[in-house]
Amino acid sequence: MNGWSGRMLSVDLTAGICTVDEIPEKLLHAYLGGRGLGVRFMRDSHRLHPFDPAMPLIFSVGPLCGTSAPTAARLSVVSRSPLTGTIYDCSAGGKFAWRLKGAGYDLLRIAGISPQPVTLVIGESGGELIPADVLWGTTIPVTVAALEGLGSVAAIGPAGENGVLFANIMMGEGNSVGRGGLGAVMGRKRLKAVVVNGSRNSIIAQRDRFQTARTDVMRLLRASPVIFGELGLAEYGTPALVDLMKQRRMAPTENFSKTWFSDSHRYSGPAMRAECAAVKDGCHGCPIQCKKSTPQGEHLPEYETVSHFGALNGISDLQAIVKANTLCNELGMDTISAAATVAAWGEARGRFPHAGEMSGILESIAHRRGEGELLAQGSRRATEILGRPELSMSIKSLELPAYDPRGAYGMALAYCTSGRGGCHLRAYPISHEILRKPVATDRFSFSGKARIITIAEDTNAAVDSLVACKFSFLGASMEEYSELLSAATGVEYTPQGLKEIGKRICLTERFYNCANGFDFRHDQLPDRFFTQPGSSGDGIEIPPLDRERFDQELQKYYRIRGLTPEGTFADPGFLEQQP
Amino acid sequence: MRDQIARYSAKLLADRSAIPGTIAIAVQDDLLFAVGGEPEATLAEQILGELDALALVVARPPLPFADLLIRRSSPESRQIVPNDTENRTFLHDIPFIRAEEQDSNLAKRIAGLLGGRKGVIVEGVGLVAVGSITVEQAYINYSSVFHSTFVKYLQDLLDEGFLFPGEEENFGAFRREWLLPLTADGLAFRSGPLEHREGILDELATVGRYTVERGLVDSFFGNISCRCGGLIYISQTGASLDALPGCIDPVPFDNSSTTGITASSELLAHRRIYESSGVGTILHGHPRFAVVMSMLCQETECRVDDCWKECPKVRYLDDTPVVAGEIGAGGLARKVPPVIAGPGKAIVFGHGVFTTGTEGFREPLQRMIDVENWCRDEYFRRLDRVTLHPASKSVDKNAAVEVKRGSI
Ligand code: SF4
Repeated sequence: MNGWSGRMLSVDLTAGICTVDEIPEKLLHAYLGGRGLGVRFMRDSHRLHPFDPAMPLIFSVGPLCGTSAPTAARLSVVSRSPLTGTIYDCSAGGKFAWRLKGAGYDLLRIAGISPQPVTLVIGESGGELIPADVLWGTTIPVTVAALEGLGSVAAIGPAGENGVLFANIMMGEGNSVGRGGLGAVMGRKRLKAVVVNGSRNSIIAQRDRFQTARTDVMRLLRASPVIFGELGLAEYGTPALVDLMKQRRMAPTENFSKTWFSDSHRYSGPAMRAECAAVKDGCHGCPIQCKKSTPQGEHLPEYETVSHFGALNGISDLQAIVKANTLCNELGMDTISAAATVAAWGEARGRFPHAGEMSGILESIAHRRGEGELLAQGSRRATEILGRPELSMSIKSLELPAYDPRGAYGMALAYCTSGRGGCHLRAYPISHEILRKPVATDRFSFSGKARIITIAEDTNAAVDSLVACKFSFLGASMEEYSELLSAATGVEYTPQGLKEIGKRICLTERFYNCANGFDFRHDQLPDRFFTQPGSSGDGIEIPPLDRERFDQELQKYYRIRGLTPEGTFADPGFLEQQP
Repeated sequence: MRDQIARYSAKLLADRSAIPGTIAIAVQDDLLFAVGGEPEATLAEQILGELDALALVVARPPLPFADLLIRRSSPESRQIVPNDTENRTFLHDIPFIRAEEQDSNLAKRIAGLLGGRKGVIVEGVGLVAVGSITVEQAYINYSSVFHSTFVKYLQDLLDEGFLFPGEEENFGAFRREWLLPLTADGLAFRSGPLEHREGILDELATVGRYTVERGLVDSFFGNISCRCGGLIYISQTGASLDALPGCIDPVPFDNSSTTGITASSELLAHRRIYESSGVGTILHGHPRFAVVMSMLCQETECRVDDCWKECPKVRYLDDTPVVAGEIGAGGLARKVPPVIAGPGKAIVFGHGVFTTGTEGFREPLQRMIDVENWCRDEYFRRLDRVTLHPASKSVDKNAAVEVKRGSI
């Protein structure tokens, strides 16, 4: 087989057994890998509670992993989120994915609960469980340092062990499987880490064709100002967006009560470069290298993190923000949800934390001590307990990232239709509403957005199944990536065919969610965005969203998706019709 | 979306890339519909209904170049591969459907091809282009196909002359009637130096519009900037030169802010030109004859196989230097600044023209017009020699493209 290896490793933690199985070729062709394949393998488990012993935690690479396709050394981790209750996947870069493919597996399925803490060690001949009692309770850097001699590491920190609902799984090089709390799922299984050490090469079906497509991708990446421009992601990382969001007056400030923060220049891309001597860093095998680190190797925060530990909490102290980011990484927690939960709590108690308090709060969350016990549950549950549910700026319990929906109407809709909750990456309308890629759309108009969001969701589901990084698509397109895929696998794919695969994945996810009780009532923005204006100025008006117009567009989305007006499936047999 | 359809239908007419009455644009939001002449509108609707995309343009170009490229291609060919930068970077190739292959399944076949590419040539019908997320994108893709087929046909003529009965007469009509004289006569400019924000924004928008209205460039391809103190005012990426209001980024020269992340992909080239030549204004566009002529090369023993990116030479068209270099970080920003300082103009292989001005925009616009007029005249001089004296083509074809200097 070319592109894929066609094998999966199944691990039963309860029984302590690892088995190697074949993956039917037709499933690989129909779901590709990554998110798509993982979602398909959730078909028999999607109704289980996230902490049910039988709930699988799936690591899935794609057919381009292990090749020189730009940004494709990635995997998706799929399960059901304890934070949102939805089907959940997250894409992460790093050598782990590359080594898992190198060990000869497209997919790793972990179920059961180990009687004691364990580490799963994977090689080309299978998996082995070794005790992890001494690692239990340690931070990510300590765990990684202890295990990296065995291979590439994916681990949880104290937050995952303690069931923080937004706990991450962290990759050894610092990449995170973030947002939905899959670290807590791993913690519940008493699985401290997975280590993998494969080195087989992927076999490419058509080398010359692959090389031509790769050259085409690289040409487009170089042509994109957002990627390789002198103010782009390769130079400044995602914090390049700090100044832009300020200028567009859509930087969420003080728990989304404002959209403009006067001091954000103190943690902008240029400020970070000057103050932290930022150097390039990034995912294994990625030519863009959008991540930034200090010369000492400390990872610097991404845009969403600086903005949420910054403006969202009214903090402008860059060193405090960098420290908060580092702590989250060490404790294994999602930075967006952590910062947004703290901000919601801050507004509820009438005072946002000052910079010096943040570290203590984050430690208390990871260890579920003091106020951390409340905050570890995420903003939706915390504000409900405090009697101020309107202050949780979340959708389906997932805290919104740092793009205020009043400043980009496609983003407003996409937050709601996202199957995993308030996430900017499912349809990523920031690309056209703000970054003008592939073309600009009017950010203050709903016109056409239902169709645009549907197409982008489908496309991105395919991207997440290749698995490639979405930033590549700020330059290249599915035209070039379908060529890479066809050349790698020897199976012909077109961009249209890939969108149809993406559509199948999105609808399957929605079907799972509907089976767990989700419908149009969960596809809603917090009231604040319909009743309060943002911070207008510099000739830019940020009025509240028009609820009637929003509802119309949401209904259009349902019609385009073939759903009922309640956002559900008219056909209960949908799943059986899918491969 | 009807306003978008009206807007881009009007643009197709204004830039004379489609014949009136043959333009149809289909869109689908939750409903699918098409606006335009028949049978194009029905066809457009049928094709878009097969695609996961928002908009589609079907129109017949006023020039038969795309159809002639199909006739010139070998019987087994299924696509043409123009070699201008636009095609190389964004289109890759342009599939086509011959007249004799068209049947009742035409819409499905076109949709099948558009499932993999941005535009398709349908012989006898016209150009079909898709826009994944906007009507504008479908228009841009149509323009790209029109541009690339135009450039390729002109190149092929220089190589092979006229091949078919009536081809020469058709081309004569194009030369006499479709091509307009290029001139800056009658245009008003602000005199430099441009110093005030509002005046700068207004002048950039005005001059951008001039370049399109005068038929010098297509609206979507190109960029424009002005230096004022510590700022470069530059058009945004993907901005149309004839629709610049609201699409200009002020970018600090010292990179103290990153709001300019949305600026043109050629920001780095503009900045380096300002740094190295001390000029005040820059204009960049893709006039077609300059693009064609830039790709003529007299070298016969050259080992470089990626001329667009790797050619180390500075060649000349008249007194305008020609250099290689791909878009953005692809090398153009390194290769143009050293050669543009003296003449205030430079051509990038297969791509387009950069011109500069000391203070205002009269100078760079006039320079770009002069470059394109020279390339146009030179093209026709060569074509006439090829077609009137076919034996002369192999010796004369590249004579005016001289190598003046060594590597840069
Ligand atoms: S662009 Fe950034 S996030 Fe994406 S693969 Fe590269 S380094 Fe990783």
